[in-house]
Amino acid sequence: MSTNITETTIETKKDAEGKNKTKIYCTFCPSKMLNAGTASLINMEFALPYIHSKGEGKGNQSEAILNYWLVEDMYTFENIGVSHTVGNIKYLACADCERGPVGWHDLSSKKSYIALCRVKHE
Amino acid sequence: MAKKTYDLLFKLLLIGDSGVGKTCILFRFSDDAFSTTFISTIGIDFKIKTVELRGKKIKLQIWDTAGQERFHTITTSYYRGAMGIMLVYDITNEKTFENIVKWLRNIDEHANEDVEKMILGNKSDMEEKRVVSTEKGEAIAREHGIRFMETSAKANINIDRAFSELAEAILDKTHGKEPQDAADRVTVNIPRERNSNRCC
Repeated sequence: MSTNITETTIETKKDAEGKNKTKIYCTFCPSKMLNAGTASLINMEFALPYIHSKGEGKGNQSEAILNYWLVEDMYTFENIGVSHTVGNIKYLACADCERGPVGWHDLSSKKSYIALCRVKHE
Repeated sequence: MAKKTYDLLFKLLLIGDSGVGKTCILFRFSDDAFSTTFISTIGIDFKIKTVELRGKKIKLQIWDTAGQERFHTITTSYYRGAMGIMLVYDITNEKTFENIVKWLRNIDEHANEDVEKMILGNKSDMEEKRVVSTEKGEAIAREHGIRFMETSAKANINIDRAFSELAEAILDKTHGKEPQDAADRVTVNIPRERNSNRCC
């Protein structure tokens, strides 16, 4: 899938310990979500709804995303928006412009996951 | 387990009539009216924001009533654990200002006694439509011994300052008070970090 990042690109984003090498920002505004070295790269397939629900088009559709940053403690985030509960999860969005989902939070494990392809690394 | 990346965690609430701009206060970079997104459909429950005050990294967990106020169903559970409350009215709407007194009563009934409060007169960018003077806002705040500020979420005036001041007031309150201390216990001999001891 085009939105999933290639292996080589992923390699450049993680450090020797598999943590995020750079800070992580919203792709739409200057809001910072995570500091460097605070999340671990994991491979897991999870379908996230599209950010824009354009009319009837992609309304309730999701895309399968394979690469996530795992954040153990929710308070590790510098800035994050947390949605109302849907099933057993909460979706994560930018705290400052509310665009998302950029990831999800598992209510049972308390872990959060940020999709690499939905955030900016710099 | 990941190591703790912050010093303190404050739970804050945004309260006030609907339409006063509570939700907008939490939009920092909303320069454009953006299209419907998946998130705006389900709604935001709370936000986590990080501020630094006096060298301490503080996580603010901010809750917006998100429409609950319309049905007067702001319950005790919503207030539970709240350390700070932003009480918001709209300077262009007299009714929202009058209701501040009602909200203060509601807070007294449900919230923790020592919750730190701040009154915000929002939409200060709409001077031509103003019906509540700054003096009236200051007067009610003085009467109840609460901090006051006029803000504009739209023009991003005083928003960051309001959150910093509220957080600072809570910090002042918690300063020198170990979180695990029981209220009825007198603590002696607990070595504490003093600012004056910090040299580097």
